[in-house]
Amino acid sequence: MSQQNTDEQTTSEQDAGDGGSPDPTDDEMLIQTDVSESVDETSGTRRRETVVRAEHVDVWYDDNQALSDITMEIPEQSVTAMVGPSGCGKSTFLRCINRMNDLIDSARVEGDLYLRGKNVYDDDVDPVALRRRVGMVFQKPNPFPKSIYDNVTYGLEIQDKGGDYDEIVERSLKRAALWDEVNDQLDESGLELSGGQQQRLCIARAIAPDPEVLLMDEPASALDPVATSQIEDLIEELARDYTVVIVTHNMQQAARISDQTAVFLTGGELVEFDDTQKIFENPESQRVEDYITGKFG
Amino acid sequence: MPRHGYQESLSDLREDVLYMSEIVAERLRWGLDALEQKEGSTARAVIDGDDEVNQMYLELEGECVDLIALQQPVASDLRFIAATFKIITDLERIGDLAVNLAQYALDADQDVFPEVDVQQIGVETLEMLDAAMEAYAEEDPEACYAVAERDDELDAMCEAASTTVVRDLIESDPFGEDDADAEAYMQDISRLLLTVRDLERVGDHAVNIAARSLYMIEDDAELLY
Repeated sequence: MSQQNTDEQTTSEQDAGDGGSPDPTDDEMLIQTDVSESVDETSGTRRRETVVRAEHVDVWYDDNQALSDITMEIPEQSVTAMVGPSGCGKSTFLRCINRMNDLIDSARVEGDLYLRGKNVYDDDVDPVALRRRVGMVFQKPNPFPKSIYDNVTYGLEIQDKGGDYDEIVERSLKRAALWDEVNDQLDESGLELSGGQQQRLCIARAIAPDPEVLLMDEPASALDPVATSQIEDLIEELARDYTVVIVTHNMQQAARISDQTAVFLTGGELVEFDDTQKIFENPESQRVEDYITGKFG
Repeated sequence: MPRHGYQESLSDLREDVLYMSEIVAERLRWGLDALEQKEGSTARAVIDGDDEVNQMYLELEGECVDLIALQQPVASDLRFIAATFKIITDLERIGDLAVNLAQYALDADQDVFPEVDVQQIGVETLEMLDAAMEAYAEEDPEACYAVAERDDELDAMCEAASTTVVRDLIESDPFGEDDADAEAYMQDISRLLLTVRDLERVGDHAVNIAARSLYMIEDDAELLY
């Protein structure tokens, strides 16, 4: 076994709980609302469709506002990173997308959040069905105390999807870049794997139902540098098939692997959302500049 | 290999720089051909093609900036990008000097001082540029030093050429001719001296490339000054 996380783990509640009141400024105007417009047309890159669209999303935990008036569009088959200081609401936003916030009694979500044009907060949306389409990977690898094989098929069994599990297990483990390391030990416990392998197993489990969106909440922050590098490579690979949204407190990681970066700052405010290159080379907002250059935050 | 995308970007950058150097060497060769043959279309191709070189320079500069901003390069990767960032400036300047040669070819009426072998100096600079880029591509420190040593020979050739022209100018007293002839002659002389100076500068840029390559390969700044 390799290392396990000993860092203080930031839960969504902690992340959002200390969010103060919003502090709207002119910076709000900097949020690019249609990322697909930024695709370079001269290079012949096809325009990417919006998969997730948030419109004026507010989230409260009791009387504490965790997110304030978030409007953004997340394009398909790309990596969108959410960065910002603790308590800025980035994890809260991630959990809005697959309604994980429903599981928190004190949470209240307002505004509209669309997945492929369908508001996920509509009454007729089944959150469990939604989560098949929007998979999630957490900070700390959390395989079930079951075999590697059963870990991958777990979500499928719940879905009672039928079909050829062997093929799905192999495909999912291959996509998660784990197959070569575990294909002769599929019956062994997932807990026997190293931390990095466990996280890739969790990614395999998340993608086994073939979701449209993969949410990742600091997926490498509990891993050593080598395992982190493997996960980062994997994320870039996964973005060919899935829309990946990753929360990270590691700005350099966002710079390395993401196509778009959203910068949340204290108060649950989305200050700037643009191509990663633009954010890290010439952000529009002075507050974003100060944050990414380490002058505050 | 870990960080596959990043490694690919580094590899692409290296390939792009080598491609740019091939284009620049080609322009330098064309500039020399234009001088030799007094051939207008070749000269104009060099002049018109300078935008392409400038555009390549800007794109490669952008690639370097992106890598630094987004990929946090360290150690040999960082030295490679830092060296490349400087080397593309030298390549772009060589492109400008090739344009100068083309311009001289268009302006020249006649060959003056056929005993000054501009082509021989030009071939020397071309070979130095090739050697410097090979040192960069092959990461060969010995080849870097060899380019620097070769520059002494080039400087001596250029010095000898300039001395020949100036000494002959003093001795020949061209101002005995009528004014118009004398002015045309002086312009030709100026162009020849400028040609020699520009080729000498190409050599300096080749040395800069070798010096940055040595820094890249061994973190050794010895050739920088």
